Amino acid sequence: MAKVVVASKALKPFDPAQAAKVIESQTRDHGGLISILEEIQLHYGYLPEGALRLVAEKTGRDLVDVYGVATFYRFFSLKPRGEHQISCCLGTACHVRGGALLAEEFQRQLGVKPGENTPDGKFSLETVACLGACALGPIVVGDGHYYSNVNSSRVKAIIQETLEGLKRKDPAADESLFPLTLHCPHCNHGLLDPDTPVDRQPSVRLLLAHQGRQGFLHLSRLYGSHGHSTQVEVPAGEVTDLYCPHCQALLNAPDDCPACGAARVALLLAGGGVFQVCSRRGCLEQTLDLDGRSF
Amino acid sequence: MDRLTSLDAFKAFTARLAMDPGRALPVIVISAGTCGRAGGANDLIKMAQRTILEDNLTHRLRLRVTGCHGFCETEPSLLVEPNRTFYPKIQPQDVARVVRAAARREAVGDLLPVDPRSGKPIETQEDLPFYQRQHRSVMARNEKVDPRRITDYLAIGGYGSLIRALEKRDPAWVVGEVKASGLRGRGGAGFPTGRKWEMLAARSADKGKYLICNADEGDPGAYMDRSVLEGNPHSIVEGMLIGAYATGATAGVVYVRNEYPLAIQHLTLALDQAREAGLLGEDILGTGFSFDIRIVKGAGAFVCGEETALIRSVEGEMGEPRQRPPFPVERGIGGRPTAINNVETWANIPLIIQEGGAAYAKTGTASSAGTKIFSLVGKVKNTGLVEVPMGMTIKEIVFDIGDGSRTREKIKAVQTGGPSGGCIPVDQFDLPIDYDSLTKAGSIMGSGGMIVMDEATCMVDLAKYFMTFLKDESCGKCFTCRKGTQRMYEILDDISKGKGTRETLDLLKELAEAVKDTTMCGLGQTAANPVLSTLRYFREEYLAHLEEGRCPAGVCKDLVGAPCQAACPIGTEAWKYVAHIARGEYEEAYRTIREANPFPSVCARVCSHPCEYKCRAGTTGGEAIAIRALKRFITDRIDPSIYKPVRSALPPGMDARIAVIGSGPAGMTAAHYLSLKGYKVTVFEKVSQPGGMLTTGIPSYRMPRETLQKEIACLLDQNVTLRLNTELGKDITLDGLQKEGYKAVFLAMGAHKSKLLNIEGEDLDGVYPALEFLQAFNLRGEKLAKRRVGVIGGGDSAVDAARVALRQPGVESVTILYRRTRQEMPALQHEIDAALEEGVKLVTLVAPVRITTENGKLAGVECIQNRLGDVDRNGRRNPVPIPGSEYAIPLDTLIVTIGDIPDVEYIASMGIAVDQWGTLLVDKGTLLTNKPGVFAGGDVITGPNTVVAAIAAGKKAATMIDRYVRGEPFKQPPTIRLPEVYLAPPEEGEEVQPQEARIALPTIPVTERRVSLKEVELTLGEADARREARRCMRCDLEFTRPPAEQGKNTERTEHPSHGSV
Repeated sequence: MAKVVVASKALKPFDPAQAAKVIESQTRDHGGLISILEEIQLHYGYLPEGALRLVAEKTGRDLVDVYGVATFYRFFSLKPRGEHQISCCLGTACHVRGGALLAEEFQRQLGVKPGENTPDGKFSLETVACLGACALGPIVVGDGHYYSNVNSSRVKAIIQETLEGLKRKDPAADESLFPLTLHCPHCNHGLLDPDTPVDRQPSVRLLLAHQGRQGFLHLSRLYGSHGHSTQVEVPAGEVTDLYCPHCQALLNAPDDCPACGAARVALLLAGGGVFQVCSRRGCLEQTLDLDGRSF
Repeated sequence: MDRLTSLDAFKAFTARLAMDPGRALPVIVISAGTCGRAGGANDLIKMAQRTILEDNLTHRLRLRVTGCHGFCETEPSLLVEPNRTFYPKIQPQDVARVVRAAARREAVGDLLPVDPRSGKPIETQEDLPFYQRQHRSVMARNEKVDPRRITDYLAIGGYGSLIRALEKRDPAWVVGEVKASGLRGRGGAGFPTGRKWEMLAARSADKGKYLICNADEGDPGAYMDRSVLEGNPHSIVEGMLIGAYATGATAGVVYVRNEYPLAIQHLTLALDQAREAGLLGEDILGTGFSFDIRIVKGAGAFVCGEETALIRSVEGEMGEPRQRPPFPVERGIGGRPTAINNVETWANIPLIIQEGGAAYAKTGTASSAGTKIFSLVGKVKNTGLVEVPMGMTIKEIVFDIGDGSRTREKIKAVQTGGPSGGCIPVDQFDLPIDYDSLTKAGSIMGSGGMIVMDEATCMVDLAKYFMTFLKDESCGKCFTCRKGTQRMYEILDDISKGKGTRETLDLLKELAEAVKDTTMCGLGQTAANPVLSTLRYFREEYLAHLEEGRCPAGVCKDLVGAPCQAACPIGTEAWKYVAHIARGEYEEAYRTIREANPFPSVCARVCSHPCEYKCRAGTTGGEAIAIRALKRFITDRIDPSIYKPVRSALPPGMDARIAVIGSGPAGMTAAHYLSLKGYKVTVFEKVSQPGGMLTTGIPSYRMPRETLQKEIACLLDQNVTLRLNTELGKDITLDGLQKEGYKAVFLAMGAHKSKLLNIEGEDLDGVYPALEFLQAFNLRGEKLAKRRVGVIGGGDSAVDAARVALRQPGVESVTILYRRTRQEMPALQHEIDAALEEGVKLVTLVAPVRITTENGKLAGVECIQNRLGDVDRNGRRNPVPIPGSEYAIPLDTLIVTIGDIPDVEYIASMGIAVDQWGTLLVDKGTLLTNKPGVFAGGDVITGPNTVVAAIAAGKKAATMIDRYVRGEPFKQPPTIRLPEVYLAPPEEGEEVQPQEARIALPTIPVTERRVSLKEVELTLGEADARREARRCMRCDLEFTRPPAEQGKNTERTEHPSHGSV
């Protein structure tokens, strides 16, 4: 789901060269037609007509077969989706607890039917057969965030929260944000930089490289805050290389990001443990492992 | 971790893990599957980490983030090992206390769950009633491992079964064990797994041979597979490895649905880690055995649960099923032999190899071995995943593990097997759960969804829901499935709108059977199950829609309209007067109320307000609108004379007189409406004041006498004559009335006799039936209660008697003795609350054994302690006496009521039929007794019931008597009443937040109540009333349009709507 969030934030125009790359990589992995279409959809948020034609051409199939698969499965959409997605679960458990009424309330407030986008392109509304969180129904998912035991009085707030994105937490007020003291795992040098504060705290200074450009990246030392500042502008969704500013070592962890598949950076925690953060701009995946056994 | 290259290296590594000194430390376990995260587990993790870092506890305890443990209802929760302390629904700010206490190996007492029955804290997870009856072998491992660490799985013996299989060097031995275990496919069809493996093993592997794990959990309402994949992915990997070794399969596929992102994440990680450790891929552990697994993401198609369709989908094609044979085990992926098992089946394999097939088979039943995980969800209190031995009854699962209904509504049925399954009604809950008995009952095991439904679930709507799903999911290959599901949906949709006749049901059944018999795959063959099983067990509900235009559960929108109005026995448009109040139109509000109800001030005080129970503001999670209090606000402020009822005259020459026996709400209502139609009505009342139970039973602190008399006086118009002190059977007779020329008689004498306990001593001085006690006080001002008063019973008369006793001089204490718990007391909840506030004591779970005497006078009552036992048909637990727990309660007055019954001695002697409960027998549709021209209604036919039900009976009697006298047919088309009048929501810009709490009802101070008979409840102030009225969600607006827009929307115009009853 997080993967979808990163990819669907902004609608990308159809780019045949990019699509061809996706098709090739999937064909190489023996992914089959469904995997190819899944990758394309993850990339664009829907299946553009041009992409379907390209898939037919590259895989040597008839367009009608590609279209057949694309329309057989519920996951695929031939229409662009809105910037934000709201899915109402209509599984049986959610249904008997009023899921249908809830979906109607979303329809009323957004002014669209399931499967449609709002005229401003901000939202698409969907109903899904079951999200597998049946004990907590009715369930609504807004851009990957699960809301449980939803009742119609919360509809407005959920729409608003989804529109605003994950609320930027107030570091002063939120107890679940707390400071980390981090070191380079290679030279054990401390990484805190009091001169460039982020969230009013000394920041974690790393060296960032992206497409031949270099500069410092200052991360908030507050775990969970995602605050940062950087000298190098990196577009959302791009993967960067991050180095220790002291020993210049590449900080990549053995495991890739579980959410988006990009490399992850691992830093040592004073007092024992490992902090890992994704190297993809915009991916919010962070983990803090106090045992540090996986490192 | 480093690659393990031999079995010895594996053993050495796991031995090292076992020596880890950290294993002795306390562990904070946080359940963070999809449910846990939806419930807020991520914040708990952060708070725990913060506390560990800040307090420097890294070396004193550990944190384990796991998948789902099963008790999803209590998310987010914490479990602390080794004491196994369980903390449900934990707030982030409480985590630090738990962590610090855990480091000291202590528990935090105030955060422990409390046993609802004993009121005592529950110390360990194992002591929770939810877990006690379970047998958790698959699910239990979820809490032991962080799914993202292979070392966690290895540390609990993971992959040990694979080693055992590899060491045997005999694949046939593995197949033999699985056969011996009796394991049957957990995906639904229940095919014996061992046999499937045996067939696969017999096939050649030269061009490849495949295993598939079906993780496309498409059955809405079931999520055990997600939980296992998320929480313990290595158990699936291990299961598949064992399967591959046993059958010689060369490659494996996990087909997992895209809707499970966390499961895909954890499984991907597990496969990577297993490969890196040398447990997956080429030359596993140096044994020469090779097998690898890839993930294929399903793109969402329910039909892919059918194995041939799933294989097509794995191949990247449209998931259409094909004819079998050949079975996949002959021709599967790419034409090669393939065996498909579902997630839960695979998860059971390591357990079987570990303990041996024979040992595994000891759990469960002879034909269905082992355990099964169910997702117990819907209207049950404890929702979550439960793992039980096969053969447990539905009753045990729903009532013992699930703890029964989560709402006021009774549990009606469970639905198992998802869209392919069916419903099992509550009277068959003794059914043991196994593959065969479920099939016999018209349902199927399926993947294990168990959705509990209560009286607020409509079975027509449920069947329609499944058919909506199935018509969308039908792949379209078979005509009968494609069109049949569509047509069944259309018929069900019609029924949900009240369109159709009895024959419609025959058509539906015929169609369902045709679809079942003429389709190729499992989807089509079972698609009729939701229809057939609901038709089989809930035909009455279907008929209510068709013949009465009524949805008993209050779900089908086109019959229900606004739920408050549909819930009201007299169809009061509550939404309308609430809207008028919000707009400040009080006179219109009064007219709306009075239109439906001749006793508005009475109902404003003592109505049981079914409207509030169905109010959507309450049923969707918030608090119901205080509708009764709003009615009170209006009736207190508006002069009744503003309402001018519509009167009609009888045809010239027709001069019909009607006799009504009893001047309670049923009798007076009938008299009133007959009078409006032009009849001359005489009401005969046995006692000296009119009002029936309103006067003799209900005390004046609830129902001031002046208000009551005023309301009755309004109904005594030129056509109505009241004759007091006139008793049927003594002063008048039925035959006499008919001879006098009364065209019809309406018997509405109520139920004024208290049912007694039938124990010795009930005739002693100081022992009173509750109604006698109340009547003595209400009519004659006699104060019978002395010193220590005991009241036996839990209904409204018991509570009324207790509160009246409390107000009498010389009373020291009043104690209500009830045999079940407070939850089960039938009295109105706010009345019980008020009684307790005033100082009435409530002792529950006791039953009187005998009345004790001293010198021939009442000394007290001997009681026996009860415990709650088995569940009865209504979902209530029967009280069971605990032998030897008898004890004496000294009393000076004992008031007894265990229900009220009518006094029918005379009527029965006149040949009018009486049923076994001592109430009159009438035709439910016409209220006619077995004697021509004699009708009966109200408590005399139902036993003690609500005021509003009596008013409804009176209205119905008036209609039926009118039809009888005029010689019209009794039966007329059903009335569907939907909101018609558009009332704009109030503007003024200040939108009220719907979350705003329900208004609290003002009362006079408790100190004043004990010493006076002043009315306890006060009326709402204007500002409060309007604010409360604005909380209304205005369900009516779904049906009405502003005048400017009318005509644009034709969707609703097709529904005929008639006037009031």
